[in-house]
Amino acid sequence: MSGYSITEPSRRTKWLAGVLVAAYAVITLIPLLWIIATGFKSNTDAIAYPPKVVFTPTLEGYVNLFTVQNRATPAQLAENPPETWYDRIVADRGMVISGPSRFGERFINSVIIGFGSTFLSVLLGTLAAYAFSRYRVPLKDDLLFFILSTRMMPPIAVAIPIFLMFRWAGLSDTHAGMILLYTAVNLSLAVWLLKGFIDEIPREYEEAALIDGYTRFQAFVKIVLPQAATGIASTAIFCLIFAWNEYAFAVLLTSGTAQTAPPFIPTIIGVGGRDWPAVAAGATLFLVPVMVFTILLRRHLLRGITFGAVRK
Amino acid sequence: MIAFLSGLVRLRRGPWEAVASVVIGAGVVMLMQPWAFWAFSWSFAVTLTGTVLFVIVSHFPE
Amino acid sequence: MSDTAIDRIARRTPPHIARRVRGLSDRAIAWIFITPTILLLLAVNIFPLIWTVWLSFTNYRANRPGAEVQWVGLQNYQRILGNPETWQSMQATAHFLLWTLALQVAIGFALAWLINARFRGSDLWTTIIVLPMMLSPAVVGNFWTFLYQPQIGIFNSVVAFLTGADPAGFSMIGDVRLAPWAIVIVDTWMWTPFVMLICLAGLRSIPPSIYEAAECDRASKWRQFWTITLPMVLPFLMLAVLFRGIENFKMFDLVVQLTGGGPGSTTELTSINLKREAFEKWRTGFASAYAVILFVTVFGLASIYVKALNRVKAR
Repeated sequence: MSGYSITEPSRRTKWLAGVLVAAYAVITLIPLLWIIATGFKSNTDAIAYPPKVVFTPTLEGYVNLFTVQNRATPAQLAENPPETWYDRIVADRGMVISGPSRFGERFINSVIIGFGSTFLSVLLGTLAAYAFSRYRVPLKDDLLFFILSTRMMPPIAVAIPIFLMFRWAGLSDTHAGMILLYTAVNLSLAVWLLKGFIDEIPREYEEAALIDGYTRFQAFVKIVLPQAATGIASTAIFCLIFAWNEYAFAVLLTSGTAQTAPPFIPTIIGVGGRDWPAVAAGATLFLVPVMVFTILLRRHLLRGITFGAVRK
Repeated sequence: MIAFLSGLVRLRRGPWEAVASVVIGAGVVMLMQPWAFWAFSWSFAVTLTGTVLFVIVSHFPE
Repeated sequence: MSDTAIDRIARRTPPHIARRVRGLSDRAIAWIFITPTILLLLAVNIFPLIWTVWLSFTNYRANRPGAEVQWVGLQNYQRILGNPETWQSMQATAHFLLWTLALQVAIGFALAWLINARFRGSDLWTTIIVLPMMLSPAVVGNFWTFLYQPQIGIFNSVVAFLTGADPAGFSMIGDVRLAPWAIVIVDTWMWTPFVMLICLAGLRSIPPSIYEAAECDRASKWRQFWTITLPMVLPFLMLAVLFRGIENFKMFDLVVQLTGGGPGSTTELTSINLKREAFEKWRTGFASAYAVILFVTVFGLASIYVKALNRVKAR
């Protein structure tokens, strides 16, 4: 790029555009910052009027999120003085911790189901995408459209037969069932995205390997896979984010053992009215990893959301 | 226009897909419009026709 | 000889199997690679789909598995398409769909256009703007009910500050007139970046030489916008609109957490309506017919979407 171009916007235009975009970005960020801030508020600060921007941070919300508490009389409290910092926070409000809450379990469920289904869909997706990319497959366009269309279906509509099928097969409310289901939903994304990435790897590399005496399969493993590594990684993150965020299937098909965090977080209720700091703490722990991944993924974001069609 | 009509007559994919898209679009509009109840009642038949038509004509030659 | 896990597996493979693998034709490899995907999708998507179609012709109720299942023909379809309540929820969906699309396209395109001026720091701001899009709609929707609280909610406070209204005087999700807008606002906040990203890709795909040529012909900026920018971005915009349209047509998680379909049934979008029929009233046969109607609609829209996708890909 050299020097002066007539299509380059003037400095004033650039400055104005920058200010407007920054203003929008700040507005869009407020709700997210508000969630994070509320997680560190005390219950009274959270529901104060007017809403408090400046407040003394406390971990009350996080302690409430992870524990179940009982009311204790001053005498009981005097008998068992609080030992740890979290005991002390609870004791200040005349309560005593009676055990861990279910949030930890639900969070771990989200992790297991998220990673399990991501692994499976990327594994199957890579194989299928390679075949679609390199070989002549009869009815290729129809198969690809069929794969994509499964992703488009309304989850609630799909959930009716899945609910019956899982009940019949004993998969309701199990990790295996949810992993299978999310794998199926993510496969379409994985196949389409990975096909785009593999299409970009020049065929010459593999052909050279074949001449060197590699078999097709060896060429796939040793040439194509390393070349597609970035693509596979970003596909995996997309699948992970989807499985992590999914709500409709989770709320209909899980209730206890395999329940993930999204259906659980809205059910967090405190003593006397909703415990907003605890809800915010749960939401923060749940949303922040995705924000970090989004930032890591920013170069491939466009591809991910258009099933690999727009590459920039 | 003439190219479009001759495409229809010669069973080409492009113009027929356009026709099917319009039928699907009409069905979707009928489904969600707030004015005529009869149009809502017949919307599904129209969408189904359009969708089936699309699946068939997408196999016509370019 | 390299010693990766794959090599070790390769060496340990018994010779007769290795020979067979090596001898695989391209066609066999293609099918071996594709079959697991197709099988899984058949089991988890197509088989249930066929089941749904079958159920839609019956009076089956999932909460009474023992009861006799009767074939009722097209009765379920007639009931849905002759039901003013279903029509009502379709109109609620239409309101949601039209306004979210209009706002997201307007704001998204404007933002993309501004970002395309390539000012310093545009990448950073873009990344920030994109954040809401990737978050869990259910968790975010749930938290927005807090932001929408009368008096204590930050949304009400900001509106009160800007307009001078009483922050305790209105409730975005409790008021019949405001609730449909409450869901539009949150969806727009979440998904505008999606439209923005795709429009930005469209803008960046236009070669600068075209503008240079137009500049030489002394075409006004206004004319350049209408004759170059808009037509060139249009396929991308179509893609964004179709995808958001399909997504919002089947919207469930965000709205169910935000308003639960209320107050009354003002924000009861089709998916929420369907969930009531299927999993609260347990009219499985009826709900299956409902599901089939949604399937066909989405399938039809998805065909147009893929067409648009291929057009963009050709660029």
